[in-house]
Formats: sequence, structure tokens, C-alpha cells
Amino acid sequence: MNLRASLKMLGPLVALLVVYFGFGISEPAMFNRTVIINILSQSVIVGIAAVGMTLIIISGGIDLSVGSIIAWTGVIAAFLIDQSLSPILVFLTAILCGGLCGFLNGSLSIWLRLMPFIVTLGTMQIYRGSAKIFTGGTPINLPFDETRYQLWMGGTGFPYGIFLLLVICIFTSWILHYTRFGRHAIAIGSSPATARLCGIPVLRTQIFVYVIGGAMAGLAAMMNVAKSSQGDPTTALGLELDIIAAVVLGGARLTGGQGSVIGAVIGALLMTCIRTGCVMHGIPTPWTEVITGIIIIIAVVVDRLRQRHTLC
Amino acid sequence: MESPRLASTTSRLVMQGIAKTFGSTNALRDVDLEVLPGEVHAIVGENGAGKSTLMQILSGAIKPDRGQMFLDGKNYAPRHPRQAREVGIGMIYQELSIVPDLTVEENIMLGNEPMCGPVIRKSLLRQRALKALAHFQHPDLQPNHLAGSLSLAVKQLVEIARALASGCRLLIFDEPTSSLGKEEISQLFRVIRGLKAQGVSILYISHHLEEIHAISDRITILRDGASVATLTTSQSNDDQIIGHMVGRAIDDLYPQKKSNRQSKILCAESIRTHHHAGCTSFELHRGEVLGIAGLIGSGRTELLRCLFGLAKPHSGNITLDGKVIDPCHRIGWQHGIGYLSENRKEEGLALDLPISENLTLSHLHAYSRCGVLSPRSQAKGTQHWIKQLKIKCASHNQTTRNLSGGNQQKIAFARLLDHGVEIFLLDEPTRGIDISAKASMYEIIRTLVDDAEKPRAVLMVSSYLPELFALCDRIAVMHDGQLSSTVEIASTDAHEVMRIATGSQPDFLAHTRA
Amino acid sequence: MRIFHLTKIASLSAICALGLGCNSTTKDEKRTRIVMIPKGTTHLFWKSVETGAKQAAKEHDIDLTFIGPQREDDRSQQIDLVTNQAQKNDAVVLAPLDRVALRGVALQVAQMGKPVVIIDSSLADSDSFITSYIATDNREAGRMAARKIAELLDGNGHVAMMRYLQGSASTEQREEGFLEEIKKHPSISVVSSEQYAGATASQAQDTATNLLTRFTRDGKLTIDGIFTSNQSSTYGMLQSLRAMSHAGNVKFIGFDGDASFIDAIKKKEMQGTLLQDPARMGYLGIKVAYAKLKGEPYEAIIDTGATMLTLENLEQPDIADLIQSQVP
Repeated sequence: MNLRASLKMLGPLVALLVVYFGFGISEPAMFNRTVIINILSQSVIVGIAAVGMTLIIISGGIDLSVGSIIAWTGVIAAFLIDQSLSPILVFLTAILCGGLCGFLNGSLSIWLRLMPFIVTLGTMQIYRGSAKIFTGGTPINLPFDETRYQLWMGGTGFPYGIFLLLVICIFTSWILHYTRFGRHAIAIGSSPATARLCGIPVLRTQIFVYVIGGAMAGLAAMMNVAKSSQGDPTTALGLELDIIAAVVLGGARLTGGQGSVIGAVIGALLMTCIRTGCVMHGIPTPWTEVITGIIIIIAVVVDRLRQRHTLC
Repeated sequence: MESPRLASTTSRLVMQGIAKTFGSTNALRDVDLEVLPGEVHAIVGENGAGKSTLMQILSGAIKPDRGQMFLDGKNYAPRHPRQAREVGIGMIYQELSIVPDLTVEENIMLGNEPMCGPVIRKSLLRQRALKALAHFQHPDLQPNHLAGSLSLAVKQLVEIARALASGCRLLIFDEPTSSLGKEEISQLFRVIRGLKAQGVSILYISHHLEEIHAISDRITILRDGASVATLTTSQSNDDQIIGHMVGRAIDDLYPQKKSNRQSKILCAESIRTHHHAGCTSFELHRGEVLGIAGLIGSGRTELLRCLFGLAKPHSGNITLDGKVIDPCHRIGWQHGIGYLSENRKEEGLALDLPISENLTLSHLHAYSRCGVLSPRSQAKGTQHWIKQLKIKCASHNQTTRNLSGGNQQKIAFARLLDHGVEIFLLDEPTRGIDISAKASMYEIIRTLVDDAEKPRAVLMVSSYLPELFALCDRIAVMHDGQLSSTVEIASTDAHEVMRIATGSQPDFLAHTRA
Repeated sequence: MRIFHLTKIASLSAICALGLGCNSTTKDEKRTRIVMIPKGTTHLFWKSVETGAKQAAKEHDIDLTFIGPQREDDRSQQIDLVTNQAQKNDAVVLAPLDRVALRGVALQVAQMGKPVVIIDSSLADSDSFITSYIATDNREAGRMAARKIAELLDGNGHVAMMRYLQGSASTEQREEGFLEEIKKHPSISVVSSEQYAGATASQAQDTATNLLTRFTRDGKLTIDGIFTSNQSSTYGMLQSLRAMSHAGNVKFIGFDGDASFIDAIKKKEMQGTLLQDPARMGYLGIKVAYAKLKGEPYEAIIDTGATMLTLENLEQPDIADLIQSQVP
């Protein structure tokens, strides 16, 4: 059981190490503490959101609105910080707000019997638009003397956000493997008919999965606010694709039933690692995009070949 | 409320006067059924006779309009499937319900996990799953293996184990052998007998009368929503059962054969597929049905797919009317070859398209002018075949999915007819369709070859020997990709065919022919 | 089921309400209608453009539509906007997202006989059909930044430039102007100019952090000067400098205005930022389009100029006005 789960992570981990050491050999600065912290902290936002997305994808769904949830929740959080609400309340509100967005995604697709792809394609626009309306289109800057949040994503030491990602990742992985909710989510993604037949509360489980996904997006939004000291309604545009790519790199199957939370975080790290490595090497940005794309495809193909091999 | 006459303490399940109406159709009119503890009770009936409605009522998915049910003497009226499970009624469905990404033990305990708060107690789960698995003693059945990697037969065992783990007293099998091979069927039967010995009652639904004879103690026959007879298996024969099912004598089932064999049309020389070592040679004539018997997985389907051009043969030649066809450019339709897939739901038909689209799909050019389709002529062509083949449907625009299996198969077959092919490659043409539909399929096939003006050629793969014997002019047997010599149907019998098919005597037919 | 019906009714009534809303804007037939299509609507810059445009519209009683694409790199959406809005308006004022991609539609509009005024960024090979080109001389603005950095560094040191987005003409011109001018100082070397920040400030911050890490040796920056060419990339760079505690240790010239830039200049974390005059650009854009419609004289090319904002001139009244117009 645990062996199988760790085998599933092995593919993305090997890809990450190959890429990291590949860049590191030609540019030893890649091994610096600062660079490592950069890679880790730049993976936090995509990583946290990818943890939630993994749950959603495992249960057979998809959430295209996650980038917009990050923007919308971030704008609200920035507004509340501006109103000098205490950090704990701000965090709780952000999680709640993200969770509500997720609840809307889940309940709409289940009660209206629409495909989650379509529902979240719609809510993606709704949340994004709401964020723009709420702010009048311009970012809400945090007060310039507000420094408490910066520790989450910046500062001189290890940003807290990295620990947060670690905790969330381990906790969600545990939920997925050891709780009934987690196993039921996998069962629903793998074979919805069977799940229904076995008396699993399919609708409740699915909605809860979306709520968790949204709450994770809410946390990612907090990290984004902490990082850029502003609630920007246009932030995280297209980030959903990075997040989905991280989940897929982590060994998830887009049709549901398979996926690894730890793998998804490794996937997020892999993509950040490519970007950082390219900047460190002075590789022009367009090439970075090409390289990222190639590595995503190679990693997924290799992973599939490996899985086919172990099946035979 | 309890009826002392029927709900005797010795009965596991009693159903009494069950009726159910959907809109204007009487799905069930009056069904009585009694199952004893430790009894294997078979239920037979044509498609549409009400078997599935009856099972849905038993499993709590729908409620009957009238009638009563008693389980071990207690009134039984389930409100939803969960409740049926709780009181000990388990169902093994035709489409296996297994979560491929969970382990065997998780599948067994799915929805029934031992919990400690929100957390699953894994050791207890393992323990309970092992207890359920102890019924089978199957080497492939390890509790920590992924269910998705198991064979169909073993998946079925997992499903049975799931029912047992939830403490079931009555286990319902719905066509359990439809995707199993011979060895696996006998394995399943061993399991069923084991369960029976432990006092579990079994309701066994099947089209296969041989199986019913082999496994059941009693048979209840449904016809048009009513239970028409309950027979003791050891004292009944096929004719009797079919007689009750169709309400007419069995003689009508198979059409008369004429001897109409004419010139050679298709000739296969040493065809070897990529999946099997053996090779295949035969000749097919106009005006004959050539049957290919054999076990599931013996390479019959692969052969048909090679002939039609869906797969490339590893080696060998195919000659059509004396001309060798280039294996790179062989799409059967172009050469007047039509293929009826055994996989009707996925390959045979586009279930969400209307009948007319499905029927005309292979040669839309005949229904279009300058590339623009004419729905009018499509409809006209379709209506012709609806009438000709007596397809029961609301209109030619109806979605194919809602039709019965028999009518769906007729549409898939009508596509070949409409295309005007000369060679029909039929792969299990009567799988999963009811007796009346089978009878009309047989009739259509015989008319094709017995046509005096334009006799067609039919190559028919079937796992059901009686229909091969009743329908074919000649027969050959496939064993692991190796096709035996072709013999006249009259010069062999089912026993010999099975011996070749199981490989016990590879070329037995060659001797009888000599 | 009931829920479903309710939603249906709700959405229908919403659509009706929208329809009514649209109708109300078309009641006045006689007013001149001009559409202004910016590159985006969220950056402060475009808010200022809108302010200027509104002022001109008010002066001439023009029915002004201000509508832009959702993303500042969505060329096709902007093309669609131009096509659709040209049907309903008498003139189009456009800030093209791409100097080539938008040429076709702009030409079509001009051929319909409607004036096309280009603001902010140039359009390729368009002198023959556009009414006027009103923009900051971006190349010159880039040169100004280079001259300022050279002055701050006393003509020697290492300089990095973080670009904004590929295909954005105005920022590319600033970047080229900067590189051109900096070359005149042989002792100043440009150590990086190949990185693009990306469309959002958050992306810019990641790129900036990686870039700064690359030029950090033993906790010290090895570069002496930084130039960024628009608002989001400047914001990202500033945030990154602050997070890495490098702010103030490097001469940093940005572009565009933001409250945090003013704050940074006051804290000496930035040595300057170039302000365009977006309000004037918006104002003149509408003015010129109106003049063309009314047959009044106008100029074919107008430079709205760029101003270097520094700690020294922060308090000057004209500069304060300029800041006021673009920084909330």
C-alpha cells in the first residue's frame, strides 16, 4: 500500500532531481540555500492549490476556476487586511471564502447535473469578474507598514508558507489514504456507478471535495497576498493550467481515480525548478516556456510507460 | 399483514402478486416467487419479460405498485438499495461494479468500512475482507492487490465477497457468465455451490439454458411480466422451458435450411494474427453459412477483424473472387465485406445517434448529393429496413440507446444489408438478445444465403453451439488461433466440436472428413 | 427539480434585465459616439486614460464607451472588440495590444470611413489610414531612464533590465531605447536583458526574485542598476527587492505610477520612475477623434511626453498633479 503510493511519487521525483541537478551541474549557484528557498517558496501557491486540485481530479472532477478563486479571495483578504482585521480572522475568512466558492462549484455541477468543466468555466469568469467589480479593477495594496504577512512568503529565513505547504501536503495525503472520505473520493473518481451501488454518499463526498479544493485555493490566495502585498484582481490569470499541470505531473489521471498529493507538490516544484533554472542560466523567457512544455510531456509519457511496465 | 400460507418459516424469500406499471406499460403484472434457503433458483424469460424490473424491486431501487415480499418470514419492503444490502440481499451485476483504483480489500468493504471516527481501521478491514475471501481460496485474490489489475472472473469474485462481507442471505446474479470463459464458468459454479452449502440462497438470471441446468435447483419462468411456471430443474428439459418462455413450440426457433452452396467467394490462406501462434485457412462460398466455433479468446474475433481489415494479419493471404487483396488497402466495405461486431454497445452502434444515422453510417454517400446529406432519403431507406426486419421503435429518429438489445442488433445488421455487402462476417450475432429476436436473426441469416437470385456468404462466429448446428452449412473450430478443417455440419456433432475447441484432440475433424 | 426551475427563471429575468440595461444606452441618437479600447482595464494607467477621455467626452457631450480586453495579452479579444464596437460607434480610439495583429481590423474600420486614433502603442505601417498617433515617445522615455541610471552610477557598473511581455510595442520601444542609450557608456555593462516578467505582478515577482538571486554573491548584489519597463514588472521587482532585503542597495528606475512606487522613492528604494501622461493621452485621443469627425484641424503625431519622478521633484505642483491623476 505505502510502497505503491511511494512508487507513484517516484516518477515525478526522479524528473525533479534530474532537472534540478541538470541545471545545477552547469550552474552551481543552483545549490545555494537562497535558490533552494526561492524554488520552494515560488512553488507554495501553485503547490497548495494543486493539493486541492488533486483531490478534485481524483474524484473525477476538475476546477478551472481555481485561478479566479485565488484572485477573488485574495482581493477580499487584502481588503480585510486594509481594514486592519487580525491575521487569524483574515486567514479564516480566506479559507471560508475559498470554501464557499468551491461549494458553489460542487453544488452547481451536482444539482444542475452539469459537467464540472463547464460549471467551473463559468464560475471562473464569475469569480474573476466579481474581483474586478469589488476592486474597481485596480489592485488593493496592503498598508505599507504591514509586515506581518511578509513572513509567510518572504523575509530572511524560511518563509512559513513552505511549512504550510508541507503540512497541508502530508495531512491531505493522510486524508486520502486513511479516512473513509478519502477512499470514497477515489472510489467515486474511479467508478462512480460502483460507488453509488455500494451506498457511498456520492453527492456529499463530491461537494466536500470541491469545498476542500476551494479552501486550499483560499489559502493559496493568502500566500499570494502575502507575497505581493496586494490583492490584485488580475493575478493568477491562467494559473489553473499550471496547477492542473502540476497535478498531472504528479501522476494523476484526468479521468479520476488516480493521483498523488505529494506527487502534485513535486510537480509544482518541478515547474518552478525549470523556471528558476532558466533564469539562473540567462535562458530567454520564450525558451523557458518551450522547455517547460517539453519536460511536462516527457515526464508524463515516461510515467505512463513506467506504469504500463509495472502492470505487465 | 403476514400471510401464513406463503411466508412459511422455511422460505428465504417470498414474492407474492408483485406488479409494477411504468406509465402505460405493465412491466410486471403478477409475479409469484419463492426461494428456499440454500437453493439456487434460476429466473428465465425473454428480454422485456420483466426480469430486470423484478430485480430492481428486490434490490430496493424501485417500489412495486402491488404485492408483498417476505424475507425469512418477515415483511420486506426496502425503500432504497442501501436498505436491501442491510437486510442481506446482495446483487452481482452484469456490468461488474468494481473500483479499479482501490485494492481488493477496500473494494470488498466499500461503503461498509470499519471506522474509528473519520479514520478507517485498516487492520480490521483486512481481517473482515480475508474472512469474506476465505470462501474462494483463489490464488490471484490477494487483499492488497489493485482490483483493476484482476481478470474479469476474479473481479466477479471480489464482488461476491463484497456481498458476503455485508452478511448477505440472498445473492442475485444477473447474467454472471456473459464475459467468462468455460473454465471460469465452472469455477464460478464451484463458488455458487459452496455458498449454497452454507445456506445462502441464490437467484440466478441467465439466457443460457445449459448453465441453468448445470447449476439451478428450480426455475421460474417469466413471460410478459408474469411468472408462468416454476419447474424443478432435474425434471424439466429445454423444450419445456423455451415453450414457457416464448409461449410457443421450440421448432419455430430455427428456420429451414436449403442447400444453396455456389461458387467460392472468399479464400483465406494461412492467416496468422498477431495474438496467436496458429494459422487459419478456409474457403467461403456464396450461399452458405460457415460457422466458426471455439472458446472465448481462441482468436476468432481477431480472425474476423483481419478479414475485414480492422487489424493486419501477421502473415497470410486473403483472396476475394480469385484476386489477392493487398493487406495494406483492405477496408472491408470497399470489397463488399461487412462486419458485425460482438461489442454492440461500443463498436457496433453509436448509441446516442438516431436509428437512421446508425443504419446508414457506412455509406452516407448513397444518401447525399454533392456531399450534402438528404435526411429524407436517409429516413426512407431506414424505414424500409425497420419494416423489413420488424424493428420495434417509435420512429427512425429515435435514439438507439433506448431500444432493446435485439432491436439494436437488428439495426447493426441492417447496416450491412443496407450497404449491400456480399460477405457477412458475424461475430456473436445473437449475444445478449432474447429468444424472439434470436429467431428473427436466424431467419434473416438463412434468407440471405438461401436467396436464389443473389446468394450471399456468411461467416458466423458463435459460442452457442446449438445455433451453429441449426444454422450453418459447414463448421470449423478455432483453437488458439489454429482453425481446424472445415466439415459439413451433418458429419460432426457438438461433442466433437468441443473436443477440438478445448484442444484435447487437435485434428479430429480431419479424420472424420477422410 | 424545483431548484432547477427557479434557476431558470432567475437567469431569464437576469437576461431580461441586461437587455433593458442595454436598451437604455441607445435612446439618444444624435450624440457623437466614440469608443476607446485600451489594452486592459485593470492597470492604473488605463484608469487615468479613462479619466482624461471622460473629461474630453464631457466637454463635447460625447457618448463614450470605454471597454478593454480582460487580459493584457489577449490580442484576439481586442480584435473582436474593435470589430464589434466599430459597428456601434462613430470613431475608434485604440491602444493596440500588438502592432501587427491589430492592423487588419484598424484598417477595416478606417475603410468604413470611421476615424481611427491610435494611442499609447504604435501600429505597424499605419500612417496612411489612421487619423493620429498619440503616445509617449517610448523610445525617448527609455533613453531618459538610461541617462538617469548612467548619471546615478557615474557612468560605470553592471545593469540589469527586466522586460515586460513579448509583442507589447510600447514597452519594447522603452527597452530598446534604454539599451541604445546605455551603450553610449562603455563602462556600463548590461548583464541581463533576456527575461520577460509576464503579464501579472505575481509572475513578475517570481522572475525578479530568480534574476536577483542569480546576481547575488555572498549576500550582496553584483548589479548596480535595474530598469523595468512597466507598472506590473516594476511592482514585482520592488516587492522582490524588499523581500530579499536588497531594496536601497541598488539604483532602480521603474516605469509608471503606483502608490508603492512613491513610497519606495521616499524610502530611497527607488531612484525614480517614469510617468507618462495617460490622462492627457486619453483626453487628446477623444479630442482628435472628435475633431476629425467635425472636420476640425488636428495633429497627426502627438507626443504626450514622459516625466522622471524623483525624490527631488516629488513635491512640485505640476508633478503632484500628474501623480494625482494616476495614483489613487
